[in-house]
Formats: sequence, C-alpha cells, structure tokens
Amino acid sequence: MIKTVKLEEAVGTKLAHDITEIRPGEFKGPAFRKGHTVCQEDICRMQRLGKNHLYVIDLEADEIHENEAAAILADALAGEGVVWENNPREGKINLYAGRDGLLQVSTQSLAAFNLVDEVMCATLHSHTLVKTGELIGATRAIPLIMKRAIIERAAAIARQNRGVLTVRPLRRARAGLIITGNEVYHGLIQDRFAPVLSSKIQSLGSEMAALAFAPDDAETITRAILSHLEQGCDLLLLSGGMSVDPDDVTRHAIHRAGATEIHYGSAVLPGAMFLVAYLGEVPLLGVPACALHHPVTTLDLVLPRILAGERIGKLELALLGHGGLCRDCQECAYPACPFGKGA
Amino acid sequence: MNRDGAAPFEELLAGSVAAHGHLCPGQIVGVRMAMLGLRLLDFEAPPTYPQLKQLIVFIEMDRCTGDAVAFVTNAKLGRRSLKFMDYGIMAATFLNLESGKAFRVISTEESRDLAQMYVPQETDKRQAQLESYRIMPDSVMFRVQRVKVDLTPFDLPGPTRRKATCRKCGQVVRDGREVIRDGQTYCRPCARGAYFTEAQEIAWEEMNWSPFLTIPGKDFAARQGEPAT
Repeated sequence: MIKTVKLEEAVGTKLAHDITEIRPGEFKGPAFRKGHTVCQEDICRMQRLGKNHLYVIDLEADEIHENEAAAILADALAGEGVVWENNPREGKINLYAGRDGLLQVSTQSLAAFNLVDEVMCATLHSHTLVKTGELIGATRAIPLIMKRAIIERAAAIARQNRGVLTVRPLRRARAGLIITGNEVYHGLIQDRFAPVLSSKIQSLGSEMAALAFAPDDAETITRAILSHLEQGCDLLLLSGGMSVDPDDVTRHAIHRAGATEIHYGSAVLPGAMFLVAYLGEVPLLGVPACALHHPVTTLDLVLPRILAGERIGKLELALLGHGGLCRDCQECAYPACPFGKGA
Repeated sequence: MNRDGAAPFEELLAGSVAAHGHLCPGQIVGVRMAMLGLRLLDFEAPPTYPQLKQLIVFIEMDRCTGDAVAFVTNAKLGRRSLKFMDYGIMAATFLNLESGKAFRVISTEESRDLAQMYVPQETDKRQAQLESYRIMPDSVMFRVQRVKVDLTPFDLPGPTRRKATCRKCGQVVRDGREVIRDGQTYCRPCARGAYFTEAQEIAWEEMNWSPFLTIPGKDFAARQGEPAT
C-alpha cells in the first residue's frame, strides 16, 4: 500500500523511489535515490523538482516494490549470453550482451510478456549483431508497487523458451567458396566475388578455408562442392548461376552434390535469387550477383544467423519479406536501418 | 500422475471432441483449463473417483470451453459437481471440498491476440488458434486466482436437504431455493419472475404414453382413438 505524506512532514522518512531530475539538454537521472533519508536540506530542492508530497510505502505481504520486481523480470528475460546488474535506476534494469554474438529475441514471448499489465520490456531487433557489453534491452515494472503474482506470471511468460533475449555466439566456420561462371573461369572478366565474400566471412570471425572457380557446368561445380566438403569446409558459399538463364546450372549442381534441402528464393530485395541448401548438416548459400553491386543483401541477413546455429528454411526466408526491401540510400547506414529487421 | 503432457492432453482432447461434436479452439482451451485446474488441486485428469467426490467445478460460460471443462473433470450438473454461473466469462473455478482450496482459471484475451505470432506461417485465424493453443504455455493462456468459495449445505452433492412449497403455485422447491417474502414461501418464478412468461397449462396428444405400459391387457396402440374419459 502507498501512503502520501506532505513534503514538509517527510523529514526523517526514507524515499520509496528515485526522484528524477531533468535539466533539458544537460541531465536526466535520479536526483535522490530510493532509500535516501529525507533531511531538512532536501526539502527546497525537492520543491524545485515539483514535489509537494512524497510516497511512503507500506508493503502488504502480496505486494512487491518496483525495484524487486524489475530484478525478477530481468532474471526471467535474460537468456543465455545476456547479463544484467541488480542496480535498478528509477525502477528500470538494463540488459546487456554478455558476449559477442547474435541477439535473438523471442518475439512472441516478448509480446506475451508486454501484454501483462504493468510490466514492460523493450529490446533491440532480433538478429542484430552485438558486442559484449552492448545494451540490448531494458525492463521495468511500471507502478511503484504491484502484486507479486502479476510479476511472477510475467516472469514465467518470459522464461518460456529459456528467456526472451539470448545472445548466441557465432561459430568460427571453415568456409569454402566456389565462384561459378564461364566468363570468370575462362578469364574473360576478373572475379570480384571472392574478395567481397571473403571480407564478409572474415568480418564475422570465420575463415576462408578453400576457394575454387568453376565454369557453368553442373558436374564441375558438383565436384568442387564435394572437394570442399572433403577438405573439411563446414560452410559453403556459391556465387553466380543463381538466376533463370539456361546457363545457370548452379542449383542443378547443388542437387547433384546430394543436398537434402534446397530453398531457392528469399523475400528480400536485393537478394531475391538467394539460395539456402543443406548437405547433411553443412549449410550451402547460393549468392546471386546483386551481392557485387549492393553492400547489403540477403546474405548479410542470413549468414550471421547461420553462424549462430539457426537453421534457415523456407519459412525463415519468407518471413524476411516484412522489412526486406532496401531503401537503396546514397549512404548505406546498415545495420542502423530497418532493412531486414521485420522478420 | 496424469500430469501435463502431449499424450494425456491429446487423449482428453479426442474424448472431449467426440462428446462435444467438433474440434474448435474453445475445446483446446477448455481441456487445458481443466488440466490446469485439476493440477492446481493436485488431482489427476480426469480425476480418480475419490477425487471426483471432492471436486466442484464452476463454469462461467456456456461455450465450447465449458463442455471441454465438464468432460475432462467429469463434473456433472445432475451430480451437483458442476455449477453453471452465467457470467459470460471464459473462466472456471475448481474447488476441493475437503481442503477448501479453490482456483479460478481465467482464459486470457492476450492468448487470442498472440495466436498468430506463435504460428506465423498460418494465415487462417482459426487454424492458428488450433495450433498455437497446443504450444502456448499456461502462463500465456491463463491467469489464475486463488479464491474462496462459500457453499451452503444446499449446494452440495447428496440427498435433497429441504423441500418447500410455493404458496402461490403449489410447486415444490428443493434445496433452499425458495424465496421468503413477508414470511411466506414462494418459488423463484412466482417471487421474482422467470426466464419464461405467459405460462399456460395445456393438454397434449398421447398424454398417457409411457416407455412401459402399466395397464394390464391394454396396449398403447389399442387405446389410440378411444374417447377421453
């Protein structure tokens, strides 16, 4: 239960919550922290902050203070690879990446959590690459005191699927690259794919373990795929031959190599002709030519997820459609842009 | 123990669907609501006979969910273990008569809103509910209140506790449902009005039919067309 006392009668009482001060453009934060014992000298400053009354809390057995609530919520929301400090400020607790990796947000659990009255959690988008210590979410109980059962139910909801936020480490893949196309293979044009794709792979902490060039011949491409697998590659990238021309035989070659699952086409522009296949457990990504002209394509949305251990199938490629349209800005601000964030 | 789990759930759902007549989202909600209510009382689903004797279920809606709750709990109106409270609320309360413990399980509106998020590949809302209500955790599907339920002996299973006769219409009223007004006893329809109006007693054709004829030497067909006496 909350009781209200007049400010001038509050000397000697302990503050029930932080008192926030906002100086526009200068400062926003707690001027007084919860638990501070009000003394005579505080009264003037509190009056300046617009306080004429203060809350005194008398908790019932089934009630809980916002700070304790926030800690329960944070503990439930934080999955593997997420850390938080039990030092609520103004009833709020921040959640941080406990390691480098890919943030995954269980959006249905988050929605279910936020549909519980009087609690909230806000996160970065799912599938965002994050660094250790980066702020990835925050939670708070909205009222100063609330019923413990509500917090416990919200926490139970948050705990489904082992927490709402998880940071999955990216595995260090041994990537094998196959550049297809007669024009490159026969030296008519210079390949530009290998440097672009190597750089993307290395920037995610993986290594380029093998590189091969193949003409538009299914059998040769198949042999290159199998050779890469024999060399111990656990991720394959194939460029070129992904479109609908009769010379584009890459898909056929992937099939011949024994792919158990082939998904051609993603709901992303640029990158509609992207392909995901699996040879046993080894993912194979077919990268269309747009990756040469656009800094960010389907590959950039899918590769971190593959490295984080996610199995990308037809549904995942389809769900990329919402937010999957690149605005083609003159200066690319990705990842600080909405591209690929709707899935 | 017949605790939560796919196999007992599917078994109970199949039985409930057969009894109710069709599979619908409400059936799944009802089966799960009952399983949760029984689990909170530490009862099995369905309850054992001794547990059934201790169980009273209050259903707050007359919808598919209500039938599923009744099926899973084996609670019956005629055994006075099932009470219908006409609140129009998707909730049911499970009371253990022996311990007095009672839990009111309320189906959340959020679970309806979230159904399609749980199965994003499903575009049909009803189908999404059918699938998602199988996988949503109880914490999302339901809110639970611990409640106190005051029952009088007149509400309990067992023999009729009291009979009273309406002063106005002569109807016998059982189990304390009579109304005392100005020291006189009435049935509820006479005292407060009823769900029906303009009641008029009638005679009907074949008034003497019974499943087993009781008049020796006369069968029902032979009496057809006899003048009324």
